Amino acid sequence: MGYRAENLFRLLKAAAPTLLGVLGVFLLAAPVRLFEGFAPTPIIPLVIVFFWSVYGPDYLPPLSVFFIGLLQDLLTGGPLGLWPAVYLVTQFIVMSQRAYFLGREQKVVWIGFAFAALGAGLILWLVMSLMSGELLPLRFLMLQLAATAAIYPLFGAVFGELHRRVLVEV
Amino acid sequence: MEFLGQDRREGLGRKAHSRFVLVLLILVSVLLLLSSLYSAQASVFKKAREGVMDVASPVLSLFSGPISYVNGVAGSVGDYFNVMEQNKALREENAELRQWMNEALELRETIEVYEALQGYVAPPEAQPISAFVIGESNDAFARSMIVNAGRANNVEVGQAVVDENGLVGRIVEAGGGASRVLLLTDIQSRIPVYVEGANVEGILVGNTRAQPVISFTASADDLEPEPGQRVLTSGAGGALPRGLPVGVVTGENRGDITVDLYANYARTRMVRVINYAFPVVDHVVGDEDAGDAEEADTDAAGVASELPAED
Repeated sequence: MGYRAENLFRLLKAAAPTLLGVLGVFLLAAPVRLFEGFAPTPIIPLVIVFFWSVYGPDYLPPLSVFFIGLLQDLLTGGPLGLWPAVYLVTQFIVMSQRAYFLGREQKVVWIGFAFAALGAGLILWLVMSLMSGELLPLRFLMLQLAATAAIYPLFGAVFGELHRRVLVEV
Repeated sequence: MEFLGQDRREGLGRKAHSRFVLVLLILVSVLLLLSSLYSAQASVFKKAREGVMDVASPVLSLFSGPISYVNGVAGSVGDYFNVMEQNKALREENAELRQWMNEALELRETIEVYEALQGYVAPPEAQPISAFVIGESNDAFARSMIVNAGRANNVEVGQAVVDENGLVGRIVEAGGGASRVLLLTDIQSRIPVYVEGANVEGILVGNTRAQPVISFTASADDLEPEPGQRVLTSGAGGALPRGLPVGVVTGENRGDITVDLYANYARTRMVRVINYAFPVVDHVVGDEDAGDAEEADTDAAGVASELPAED
């Protein structure tokens, strides 16, 4: 592998979580309607933010998180700044609890993620309710958060392998 | 998993635990949120949205192929189970529709006679623009779709979007080659409607539930809307053409009339944007003004385009 190619690969590795986040946002903006829309699309960027905030904050700097959120706002048509705030606050809280999560069993981390998702959902709901001037129905949000929490073990395992074997490369 | 979490400083961010940047960016996004609340229509935000939509639309189109295939497979599994019921329901509906068709044909003939009798000037024809749904916000609170037609196809902000069932929503952002449709269920959606037969005008208000509600603004008499009555766009405010089918009244919920929409958002794939020139109530009296009527119609296009979202 030439010097140039190696550099490119290194850059790609460094940017991989960010690119995955962007891909997750596109999935949220695509017309995925599994089972006639009864299965909500999981918020994969939230999984990515959580995962790399715990296991490799260097790989997902706050600026990346900010732009992932901003892209999501722009693509889904919500008020600008909503998703950056949700993701960044999640990152802040998760990073402050990082020492607890490191080295724990995946089951424990999963429960942690479920709580993080609930917290993120709460912020989202509060802001949107404030904006619309009434308490909004929670049903769809809860379904979506449940779907996101349900896919965490799978995505967590895949991201774990990616992070360990490709990105950190020990 | 013990390898996870060690800091090798190989990532994009060189400073691990850069709390300062993180807190700063949180503040920036909160400020952004506040400013976008108070100036949602600011040209910077609008340009950013339209630009991103235009850039993203080829990617979304690329995505939508395989996605619609997967959706089709997953959807058809369910269809296999109730194919008999569906068949029966469709046959009944077909029989009913045949009767309606006959009645419609008869009525068309009658109307033609009436139109020939009086000096009838037809309202300007709406020109539909066909488009495919390439994006949809899978968000708990924001309900919108992205279609692959934009200003290049004469799509403008404020135009109505329909599919084969009825009204889908309204254009809120028009990019060069893609535009955003605000669905009727979004919390920001406000559509002037009337209930057929009950003679009441109102505003259809979205609340993220599947069934939006009508909040009444004016009632001609005390007739209460009954379940099953049709809800149509009223054309008030001059943004949408009158008479687009929206849904049926299903009942009452805490004083509001709930409406079951004709549009099935889980199946909306192809839509038509209605490029409608609103007729102007101008001195179009009698035959001698027939020439002016032409002129008024061209004016009307301008007026209608200057009347975007008033909510």
